[in-house]
Amino acid sequence: MLNEREETLLKEFAPQIEHTNFVQAIWMFFLAAIVAFGFYALYVQIAYGHIVTGMRDNVVWGIYIVNFIFFMGVSYAGALISGTLHLFRAEWRKPINRIAEFITIIALLIGPCYILLCIGRLDRLYYLVIFGRIQSPITWDVIAISTDIFGCVIFLYLALLRDIAAIRDFKDIRLPKWRRKLYTWLALGYIGTPEQRERLHKATDIMAAMVIAIAVIVYSVLAWIFSVTLQPGWHSTIFGPYFVIAAVFSGTGVMIVVMWLFRKLYHLEKYITRQHFVNVGVLMLILAALFGYFTFSDYLTKWYGSERNDEMLINLLFDEYYWLFILSNYVGVLLPMIVVGIKKLRTINNITIAAVVVILALWVNRYLIVVPTLESPYLPIQDSRPDWLFYNSTWVEWALTAAGVAFFALAFTIGSKFIPIINVSELADSSPVEEEEILT
Amino acid sequence: MKKFTFANLIWLISFLLLISPTLSAQEVSETEEAETVDTYLSFFATYTSNDTVVLTANLYIRNGRVRVDLQNAPVSFTISGDDEQVMAGEVFTDSTGKAQISMPTSSLPRNKEGMITYIAEFAGTDKYLSTSEMFTSKPARLKVSFYEEDSVKFIRVTGAQFASNGESGPLTDETIYIFVPTLFRPMAIGEVWLESDGIGSMEFPMTLIGDSLGKIMIVARIDEHDTFGYVKGESMSDWAIPKHLLVQDKPTRELWTPVAPLWMMITLLVMLAGVWGHYIYAVVELIKIKKSAKKEPSQDKEWSNYS
Amino acid sequence: MKEESDNNPIRSSRRDFLKKSLVAGAGVVATGGLVEAYLDTQAAESGEKVKVLTTGGEIVEVDKAHIKYPRVSKKESRQGIPGKKFVMVIDLARCKNARACVENCQKGHYLPKGQEFMKVYLLQDTEYTAPYWFPKPCFHCDNPLCVSVCPVGATYKRSDGIVLIDNERCIGCKFCITGCPYSTRVFAWRHYEEFDEDTQPYSPEASSPGVEGTVSKCDFCPDLIRVGKLPYCVASCPMGVIYFGDLDEDVVTNGTETYQFSKLIRDRAGYRYLEVLGTRPSVYYLPPVERQFPVNRGFDGLDEEVEKRYESTPYAKKQKRK
Repeated sequence: MLNEREETLLKEFAPQIEHTNFVQAIWMFFLAAIVAFGFYALYVQIAYGHIVTGMRDNVVWGIYIVNFIFFMGVSYAGALISGTLHLFRAEWRKPINRIAEFITIIALLIGPCYILLCIGRLDRLYYLVIFGRIQSPITWDVIAISTDIFGCVIFLYLALLRDIAAIRDFKDIRLPKWRRKLYTWLALGYIGTPEQRERLHKATDIMAAMVIAIAVIVYSVLAWIFSVTLQPGWHSTIFGPYFVIAAVFSGTGVMIVVMWLFRKLYHLEKYITRQHFVNVGVLMLILAALFGYFTFSDYLTKWYGSERNDEMLINLLFDEYYWLFILSNYVGVLLPMIVVGIKKLRTINNITIAAVVVILALWVNRYLIVVPTLESPYLPIQDSRPDWLFYNSTWVEWALTAAGVAFFALAFTIGSKFIPIINVSELADSSPVEEEEILT
Repeated sequence: MKKFTFANLIWLISFLLLISPTLSAQEVSETEEAETVDTYLSFFATYTSNDTVVLTANLYIRNGRVRVDLQNAPVSFTISGDDEQVMAGEVFTDSTGKAQISMPTSSLPRNKEGMITYIAEFAGTDKYLSTSEMFTSKPARLKVSFYEEDSVKFIRVTGAQFASNGESGPLTDETIYIFVPTLFRPMAIGEVWLESDGIGSMEFPMTLIGDSLGKIMIVARIDEHDTFGYVKGESMSDWAIPKHLLVQDKPTRELWTPVAPLWMMITLLVMLAGVWGHYIYAVVELIKIKKSAKKEPSQDKEWSNYS
Repeated sequence: MKEESDNNPIRSSRRDFLKKSLVAGAGVVATGGLVEAYLDTQAAESGEKVKVLTTGGEIVEVDKAHIKYPRVSKKESRQGIPGKKFVMVIDLARCKNARACVENCQKGHYLPKGQEFMKVYLLQDTEYTAPYWFPKPCFHCDNPLCVSVCPVGATYKRSDGIVLIDNERCIGCKFCITGCPYSTRVFAWRHYEEFDEDTQPYSPEASSPGVEGTVSKCDFCPDLIRVGKLPYCVASCPMGVIYFGDLDEDVVTNGTETYQFSKLIRDRAGYRYLEVLGTRPSVYYLPPVERQFPVNRGFDGLDEEVEKRYESTPYAKKQKRK
């Protein structure tokens, strides 16, 4: 049964769930077109072989793996923000909680797809299960990611349950019969009895803790895929924590951007306030500092020791990749710190711009971790073919990257049509005093 | 321009007459086998320590610069002395183009200098031209034996040569090369000088690795000798180092073995159990929520989300 | 144990041209020459034509009935030839980039021109050290990182030390390629016509026919070893640079010269490349001391495309400046 507060809130959000206006339809169509083009690129890759990508015998991992790490990282941030803030019972998280949870699950579904794109024999994918070797970091990754997906789905479900029940009960909303049936079925008969609330609360607490733990594990395993090899540039002890920090950092960036978009498009100014941007911005600042610290530590030790291949790698980074390196490790670190740190600059738009730069910087950072190392192996690449010497990504890879981003946006849009993008039930939980606190 | 004289005409007509057969022959030959192929034999005779001679012939053709062996081709061997010729036999070449035959040396015909001439012939066919090779050498024998003196081990080689009347005398003043057979090729381990009594020795190398019992074959050889051609003698010794056999009783647990290190398996199991245990707990709670809803006979209006 | 006529170092003075060609011929026989059936009394010809590598390194079309090297099953190929541990020695003092090893390996394994199992690098470790031509097969390491990281066990190390790839299990994740610090492995980025030329059933010991979307590499030619032949690269090198043998027997041979392995390494100061990485390779190198040829002989008679590969090496750049 719904209380007055819930009714008020749902009334506000009902229009988004009820119907899709013209602009939104065009938007979704546009995204779907990009995804379709991505499928065409996939077809080309399957029909002609991986030769249509830019990957060759030395740089065997290119943009696909970069995207994989990037999306997995983004997903982790969602998990961390919603999970940690839930455990801390931070009131201000309530309006942005759902966005964080959605980011988690959607990015988690897109990320592994990029590994699939990198695999030469997709028809043998199930060998990973029946022939899996425990000693291989990729097996660890398969286990970890499956566990992560399962855990995040459970967590999301737990978080959505009350809102699904609320919509089911909401009379003032016009929904087609099949949707109402869907909500009823998904609501699992939740009616808000004290027993049910208690159970839900306990389960959510457990899962919030698990989601944080599993996300750390998943991302460390991902880092170890690189650091257990002997490749100069990868074989670094710092990779585990480094990747985790970078992941959360990129996630806060995505978080801010998505917050800004929904605030604008759904007119949620009342609920997502400047304070939210500042809070997440501060998180971003802290993580920027940590990220900068880890990056500096990694490159300092490589540069100072100047082992031959480390030196070669650093020279490569500062010759071929100079501006990308500056963007990723200087601008990406300093800009958010400046924007959020200086009071005068702390506006919603500025923080969002900083977040966009952070996202780009971190994607480039992943690229600079994966590709230059493979371009400077122990045995010099002595080849006459230019695409064997340096990595030249092709339209196929970019089309599929765009498709991934488009799918992310599309899934978010569709998700927001299914359930309110603000966690209505939790918001209704707060007493008026707490609510005052949240919304200013 | 020169005037076309009558002499020129005669030259022209003769030239045309000359080449006309070839012109017509080409036409004819188009309908039959294109060309005949030259064949070659590489042939030599080896004397072994049990007084037999082994004749080895390799039949091959040249395909450009490449040597191609002929299999299943008949090669006939003949022994000839001054007066008589003996047919030794006909053997078909094997899959590597080799034909081999052996016979005792005692009754073979010799020439004046006591040398025996061996002939290998390939009769040829329509496509493959016939060829024959000759090899002349005097019979000799090498015997390998082992002895120990002052706790130092030695290999002794005794050489003998056979005169026309069958009498054997010592094989003197020759360098004999000692080999051991290995997986792919024989390995040289030393040489021995045969003194005037036809006997020579060398120290047995104690670093040789034999089979699992320490047995190894020692081979003494003369190769491409002007008089004796090829001579070989061998004997088994058990003074070699027994070969370490790579037999694994149980699979070791390493990163690259089929069986993973124990600590890895345990750690993984513990972590998975921990995490999935919590998942199961959460799912069970969800199921209980559903169940509790079913227990309620009707919606109670009093309950609400608002506490 | 086949006994071909053998050259030994003591008699090197007799290595005149004729003998060498005879010996080479014998060695050629030993490495499996093409056998042309004697047409009058032949066994029934199957009528099916297939291409075969001849000893001189050419591809000739031959009746299918003549194919010689047997191929073992996948299960058997995981076992390893019992009682052996294979090792290779490469003499850098003799290598002059003749590339017979590269080309014969490619032909024997039905590889396209762009894929090389044996690669020849032009290395110069530092400014004052000697430049040298560096043939690099797979090292078949005793601590193979490529095997450790394979998620499906498609690559494995056998009891005889050889590391093979089962291309019917490989999923093409390419982790092993990043795992190998020696850049040994190659990937089939698309299907090549050369793969179709091998009509025998696939065996990991032959690493052929190649499979699109999978990884492959030098395999030490176990299918040749099983019939007593030396690997393609060993047998075809005109300078006798590559030696191959059984470590347990402590003997290596390049087809004409046979040495005790431990003595050879000790006397010639053999080493393993990038030993410090801890991979424990099975390939040893003899340093380029008392070279038989000056380094720039390695540029003679090269294809333009191949010559281009070495353009950016420090040695080539220095040559240009002269």
